Amino acid sequence: MKASSKGSFLKVAFSVSLLGFVGFAVTGYVGTAASAAAAPAAKEAATKKEAPKLDPKDPGSVIYLDTSGKPAGVGDPNRPPSFAYTKGHGWHPQALTGSNLPKDKFGLIDWARSVRENRIAPKPSLDPNDDEMPPLKMDVLIPTKSDFVDDVIYPHEMHTFWLKCEVCHPNIFIPQKGANNMTMVDITNGKFCGRCHNKIAFPLADCKRCHVSPKNASK
Amino acid sequence: MAKSNIAAVILTGLLMPAVAMGAIGNIRLDDKIASMRKAGVGPVIFPHGKHEKIYKCGECHPKIFKDKHGANDSSMKYNMEGRFCGSPNCHNSMKAFPLDRCANCHTNVRAAK
Repeated sequence: MKASSKGSFLKVAFSVSLLGFVGFAVTGYVGTAASAAAAPAAKEAATKKEAPKLDPKDPGSVIYLDTSGKPAGVGDPNRPPSFAYTKGHGWHPQALTGSNLPKDKFGLIDWARSVRENRIAPKPSLDPNDDEMPPLKMDVLIPTKSDFVDDVIYPHEMHTFWLKCEVCHPNIFIPQKGANNMTMVDITNGKFCGRCHNKIAFPLADCKRCHVSPKNASK
Repeated sequence: MAKSNIAAVILTGLLMPAVAMGAIGNIRLDDKIASMRKAGVGPVIFPHGKHEKIYKCGECHPKIFKDKHGANDSSMKYNMEGRFCGSPNCHNSMKAFPLDRCANCHTNVRAAK
């Protein structure tokens, strides 16, 4: 029984290595094919270890797991992503870990920097007929209510790179200067910027990414 | 008898500094109250006692905070820049709650409108 199962396993390993050989030959890497054939033991170990489930109907499928092997996205949705990350939740999808994208001080991926440094070029829409508007190059100075805290410079450009105007206007922000009575208290309670930041966008605790323009009137 | 006396002396010797230094309690920070009102928050009640339980005096004084009333010009601006409460190992790190938890420090936190 044992011997036969072992034999079948070897067969599988052999066929896998053969597959590898064919694959390499097809892609033109003939030189590495020899090493692939020479290390069937390693292949065997690899097939033993991995066996990732790819069936989208299976909730244990690798596409639903974060990098720590737990199901992704089952944390408290009211908590900032930085909290989930410190509590041991890993990356989702898993491919992001090896992506080498720039990260912010919380270890979360800095998507804005990824765009600015041309590391990524996302498609404008899943719908090929959708017309893409170029980003709106318009910075808005939002003075803080406090006498001390640096003013905010809001970049339309980075936001309209990802989003359409209707996502924010006029439901979240009235498109008129001074018409939105924002406070940090409201924002941390999930209004205005807090509709996205602290949730899908970078956490509000990263103060200096928005509060960038020093107040000259006060010291 | 003598033994217990020695123990008492050692005990008082150990407790004295704790009593002298540790009875500070809460400190009300409201010298920038006008600015705070504009931002929709009230004065900060700093729980010195809570911090005493976790840290030694020397971890904050005098490097981060001068141990004198009114000697520290702390503001949210400086906290964000990594000074005072927002020092890199404190409320600007994963060790303590982040600076965007307004109501954890400020009293009378109210949403505008």
